[in-house]
Amino acid sequence: MSNMEIRFGGSGGQGLILSGRLLFQAFVMDGKHAAQSQSYEPTSRGGFCNADLVVSEGEVDYPLVSAIDYLVLLDQIGVAPSAAMINPGALVLSDSRLVPAPPTGEFTLHQAPFTDEAIALGSHRAANVVALGTLVALSGICGRDTVTEAVRAGTPKAFVDLNLDALRRGFEIADELAPAEAGAKVVQL
Amino acid sequence: MTATLQNLHGNHACAMGAIAAGCRFFAGYPITPSSEIAERMSRELPLVGGTFVQMEDEIASIAAVLGASSGGIKSMTATSGPGFSLKQENIGLAAMAEIPCVIANVMRGGPSTGMPTRPSQGDIMQARWGSHGDRPVIALAPASVKEIYDQTIRAFNLSERYRMPVVLLFDQVVSHLLEPVELADRSSLQLVERQWAKGPSAEFEPFARTADGVPPMPRPGDGLRTHTTGLTHGEDGFPSQDPEVATRVTQRLLDKIEHGRADIEAYECHDTDDAEILVVACGISARAARAAVRQARAKGIAAGLFRPITLWPFPEEALKAALGKAKAILVPEMNAGQLVLEIERICGHDLAVEGLNRIDGQAIAPAEISQRIEELAGK
Repeated sequence: MSNMEIRFGGSGGQGLILSGRLLFQAFVMDGKHAAQSQSYEPTSRGGFCNADLVVSEGEVDYPLVSAIDYLVLLDQIGVAPSAAMINPGALVLSDSRLVPAPPTGEFTLHQAPFTDEAIALGSHRAANVVALGTLVALSGICGRDTVTEAVRAGTPKAFVDLNLDALRRGFEIADELAPAEAGAKVVQL
Repeated sequence: MTATLQNLHGNHACAMGAIAAGCRFFAGYPITPSSEIAERMSRELPLVGGTFVQMEDEIASIAAVLGASSGGIKSMTATSGPGFSLKQENIGLAAMAEIPCVIANVMRGGPSTGMPTRPSQGDIMQARWGSHGDRPVIALAPASVKEIYDQTIRAFNLSERYRMPVVLLFDQVVSHLLEPVELADRSSLQLVERQWAKGPSAEFEPFARTADGVPPMPRPGDGLRTHTTGLTHGEDGFPSQDPEVATRVTQRLLDKIEHGRADIEAYECHDTDDAEILVVACGISARAARAAVRQARAKGIAAGLFRPITLWPFPEEALKAALGKAKAILVPEMNAGQLVLEIERICGHDLAVEGLNRIDGQAIAPAEISQRIEELAGK
C-alpha cells in the first residue's frame, strides 16, 4: 500500500506542530487517511521538534515516518534528525537564513527566506505557515483552496488574517521559485 | 446510529472517552506526556457539572480519586511512569477496598524520570506487579486514537462492574497522535453503572459474598454502614487475620476477574490462521508489527499478529488458539523484555519465543520487525 510521508522539522516554538495539524486537516478534508505525530525535546523552546504526517490510501498502519517524501526545515537543529530519512527524489524546503547548512543528496532542495518573509508580514511566528503554503503550492499534495480553508478553520481568531497572508505569500514563493515545477507531485496518492 | 468524525489527539480522546463514560471527577498532577489529558479534563468537566482538581502531587491525586469514587462519582487520574510509581500504594488500596477508578499511564522512557518526551512500553510489568500483594489487575493498551477513546470508556465500565482500579497504558506515540476518529453517538454507548447496596441496615454486609463475587457498594447517605480499610477484612468490613477469612476474601478479589475473563479480555488477530511466524505486540509496536506482517505476507511468508488490547489479565486462551501453525513467536516491545516473559510462560514450553527490544526512547520500526520475521522464517 503506497503512502506519503511528510515532516516539518526545526526548533521547538516555531509552530511546526501547528503546520502539521493544518496540513492534516487539509488531507482529511480531501477525504484522505492521515495520521500526524510529533517528537520533541523536553525544552519547550530551542530543542529539535518534528511534526510528521503519514498519508495513506487506507487506514494508516504505522503512523511514524521512516522515508520522508516532503521535508520542510525551519531551523538548522532539524537537519540532523531527518537527513538520513530523506527518500531519494524527495522535495526539501529549507529556510535560507536559519538553515545555513541544509542536507544534501539525491533530492530537490529549495531554499527560501520563510522567516524573513513572515517578519515582513508582521511576525516571525508565521514562518511555519509561509513554508506550509510553499510546500502545498510546489508539491500539489493538496489543493491551495483546501489548505486555505484548513488554515482559516484551524487558526486562533487573532491570527487568522496574518496566517492567511502568510499562506498566500507561501504560494507566491512557490510560483517564483519554480513555476515549471509547481504542482508536480513526488508521490501520487 | 449516527456518528461524528473528529480529528482527535490521543490524550484528548482519553478525556473525551472519560466524559462520555460518565467520569465527573479528575484529580491529577501534570506530567509529560500525559498532561493533555488533565488539560482537556479541566475544560470539559466544568461543562458537564464535574470537578477538576490539580492536586499538589501524584499521591494526593490518586487519594482524591479514591475519595471521590467512594462518594459515588466515576473518577480518574492520569500520569506517566514516575507518577505511576507514586500511585502504586493507593492503587493497592483501591483493589483491596474495592473502589472503582481509572488510572491512565502514558508510558515514557525510564527508569526514574527517564526520558520525558520519548515513548516507551516499560511499565507493562509495573501495571501487573507495581503494587504489593496478590491483587486483581486490569490493564488495557490501545493502539490508535479511536481505540484510546473506546478503551477509556471500557476502562470505566470494567472498573464499575468489578469494583476495582483499571489501568490504561498508552505510549507517547499514540497519546500524541492526531487521527480522524469516528465517534459513536453518546446515546448508543453501553455504560455500566455501579451496583448500589439496598436493604435493611441491620444485616448489611458491605463486602458480602455474591454470585458474581462483586458486592454492591453502599452509597454515602443511603444509611448503610461501611468500613473502608486496606487491612484484610471480612464481609463485615472489619480487619481479620483469621486464615479462613483471609483465604476467602483474598480469593474472592482474585476470582472477580478470573470469572470475568470473557468480558474483560480484548484482543485482535491479523492473519493468524495459517501463521508460522506469530508476532505478539501491543500499542504502537503492534502498529509497526501490522505493517511488518503485511510486508512479510507480500514476500510469501506466513506471518501473523496477535495484538492483546487487554494486557492484564492476559488473553491466554485466545493466544493459544492463535498458535495453530506457529513455529516461532516474536515479541517486539519498547523495553528490555517484559511482555515476552508472559508469552514465554504461556507458550514457551513448545515454541521458540524471541524478543525484539528497544530501550533508546525510539519506536520500533516496521522494517526492524519484518527483518526478524524473515530471519525466523529462514529467508
